Amino acid sequence: MDYDLPTEFDLIVVGTGLIESIISAAASRIGKQVLHVDVNNYYGGHWASFNLEDFLKLKQADSKSVDIALEGDSNDKDHFLPIGNSLNQLQHFEIDWNVPDRDNKSDSLIEKNETHDEVEEIKVNKDCQQDVLGVTKEENVEVGPQLGEKELKEKCDTEEIQPVKDEIEQKCDEITQESLRKDSRKFVIDLCPKLQFARGDFVELLISSNIARYAEFRSISRVLTWINGNLEVVPCSRSDVFANNKVSVIEKRMLMKLLTSIEEDEKNPSVTEGTTFKDFLKSKKLSENILHFVLYALSMSTNETLWLEGIKKTKRFLNSLGRFGKTPFLFSMYGSGEITQAFCRLSAVFGGVFALNQKLHGLVLKNNKFESLLCGKQKILSPHIVMNVGLAPESFLKYDKTKLLSRASLITNKSLVNSEKEHMTLLLYPAANNKLCTVLELGSLTGTCPKNLFLVHITTKGSDDPKEDLRECIESLFPVEAGSETSEKPKILWSSYFSIPDTNELNLNSFVPSNVFLCPGPDSDLDYDLSLKKAREIFSSIYPNEEFLPRAPDSDEIVIGDDTEAAKEVTDHSDSVLNNSDGTSETEIALEARASGSDLDISSDVCEPTEQENLKDVEQCSEAKENMQ
Amino acid sequence: MAKSYDYLFKLLLIGDSGVGKTCVLFRFSEDAYNTTFISTIGIDFKIRTIELDGKKIKLQIWDTAGQERFRTITTAYYRGAMGIMLVYDITNEKSFENIKNWIRNIEENASADVEKMLLGNKCELEEKRQVSKERGEQLAVEYGIKFIETSAKASIRVEEAFYTLARDIKAKMEKKLEASNPPKGGHQLRASEPQRKPTNWLSRCTIL
Repeated sequence: MDYDLPTEFDLIVVGTGLIESIISAAASRIGKQVLHVDVNNYYGGHWASFNLEDFLKLKQADSKSVDIALEGDSNDKDHFLPIGNSLNQLQHFEIDWNVPDRDNKSDSLIEKNETHDEVEEIKVNKDCQQDVLGVTKEENVEVGPQLGEKELKEKCDTEEIQPVKDEIEQKCDEITQESLRKDSRKFVIDLCPKLQFARGDFVELLISSNIARYAEFRSISRVLTWINGNLEVVPCSRSDVFANNKVSVIEKRMLMKLLTSIEEDEKNPSVTEGTTFKDFLKSKKLSENILHFVLYALSMSTNETLWLEGIKKTKRFLNSLGRFGKTPFLFSMYGSGEITQAFCRLSAVFGGVFALNQKLHGLVLKNNKFESLLCGKQKILSPHIVMNVGLAPESFLKYDKTKLLSRASLITNKSLVNSEKEHMTLLLYPAANNKLCTVLELGSLTGTCPKNLFLVHITTKGSDDPKEDLRECIESLFPVEAGSETSEKPKILWSSYFSIPDTNELNLNSFVPSNVFLCPGPDSDLDYDLSLKKAREIFSSIYPNEEFLPRAPDSDEIVIGDDTEAAKEVTDHSDSVLNNSDGTSETEIALEARASGSDLDISSDVCEPTEQENLKDVEQCSEAKENMQ
Repeated sequence: MAKSYDYLFKLLLIGDSGVGKTCVLFRFSEDAYNTTFISTIGIDFKIRTIELDGKKIKLQIWDTAGQERFRTITTAYYRGAMGIMLVYDITNEKSFENIKNWIRNIEENASADVEKMLLGNKCELEEKRQVSKERGEQLAVEYGIKFIETSAKASIRVEEAFYTLARDIKAKMEKKLEASNPPKGGHQLRASEPQRKPTNWLSRCTIL
């Protein structure tokens, strides 16, 4: 913008991925002057989420980091290192539309089919890319198309007035590329969809640091697995186990016994060190069903997972049960990208200076230590710099080949398992190639997808071909032939495939100056706990004796009302909640959130689909609070 | 336990740096004025409960945390906002011109039916005025939103601005409630009492 950045900071953070954002928040929180910059014009790097149009643009944006590296200005007398390397890029990007590009109702059937085929064959549709360009935000920025905006507003208005019934009756073949793109903003597509274990370190941090107030969460409402060619619900609680009619009475006992004894098994191992978790479970004489549930779903292991790791993973699942909702998992509403933004917000509230879309040229080293960052025309000094690995100078990294995460994001027309209420589903699909695919199906209740459509994210540890890596999983869950309309399975309307570099096992310490800290990107875990651990480590290397994200005070701890009674009431009120401990799980949400002074927004699965913008929610909320108290 | 409010509205302040967003917020929430905060540090949101037509309305008003300076407001900031105060400085032409950009930003990120209002702040500085009241009014008409000139420093019409915005949100909300509970024929005996749909109460709630 029109402002120059200050030229000296306590800490410079480059990249707005999760680990960078956590460190930024933690440093600002303890009073350090933080500059947080990114080359992208959006937050999150490989952790970001996009609406449909912006997601489509990603493919073009791929070459951006290379340009930046070339722009480096090496006039500086000191040792200059241009910023950026190939790890910043998404790879193998591919987009397919499986719907006609526009509504051809009036056209003859033959013509319609032709259009259909055409669209399918153009893999990365060039026309579509141009369309995207035509409506880019950037282009519009300085033009000021007031008319367009008004039209847009009117459109939105009319859309809302349309009765919901119409939408429900909308047939899948009426969905077109045009109609999906018109709803672009209703999609929030994660590059890297993540869940959080309800009692995992990450959720504990969100609560204890008070960052939970910047995000809202929903609990995943069912966990499925793929067993013998069928989707089965994984029992997540004692009552689930007993309600499940696919599990025999003997198996129920077997499972309960295993789950209660697993604690002791860890302390008194009855097996040798190299034993796999699968063999360990086999030694327990479990039925095939139960073995499958525990191995692939509860512990999310593969055939090669070692027994101790398997037990730890099983315990992690069990420990997080019964806190929020029916399953151990939470999903952040409006996409996983909101999570990194929550940390950035805290950093900003405590004085962090944020600048996106920056021209970063490179680092200047002096005596083999980082001295300054060349940003635009400025030279910015700092004693430390924290960088995303993808933005680091090439010479800081030595590797042959990095691991990849294979990703697919799909838009489908119905849920994998239809039911009356809308579910948020986690499916663990053990593929024949011994990889576990995690499938996350999100509906409109998560704020990431329009009504009556579903967004499906599939992730697995990958090779160079994400489509091939995920083929088995996708072909099992969705009809193979595009024409098989009779199929019960959901139809894929749009699909995207890409690979994200998994930089978590690279050597990030050996080739960097001692005051440079590199942050890896997303890992293959389902949750954020490993990333949090890395952020904590980097923070304590920079600030060894400082507290990591102590609780941020609530702005509303001081309540200014029309009368002072209101303020008093709020204080009294929180005491009474604390004293009232009648252990239902709903109360627990309130209690724990209260105890640490946070408002962790939790939504249960047991709810009607409500329009997210619907202001009614407010009233429901206040009712809810009353009920709870 | 009686709840301390009937409605909770999330409001946002948006506008260029230095137009006085934080001062407006402080004037309204604490009836105080402070010139010492050069940029917004440590101010997350403020709360004030007001009363409208016998209903207690808790206004949770969020500040930009300085992230407007380099146009780096997070998309998360806009989530769930019901009302937005667009603030410019009447002594700063540029801040007025940028309102259009901020509106575009809102349209890209906020809910489509968010209630907006335009504030021309620092109206006590008549001698330094660069943006006439008429231009402010005209812009507001263009976007179909309301407009008020305020002064956080001299405490002019700040109350009025927030009350107006809150009233408009409340009216919109009640209209929606009505629309989603159409009378099913016959006599409505308790027309004055808003009907509450029996819902599962845990849906999307902030547990405070």
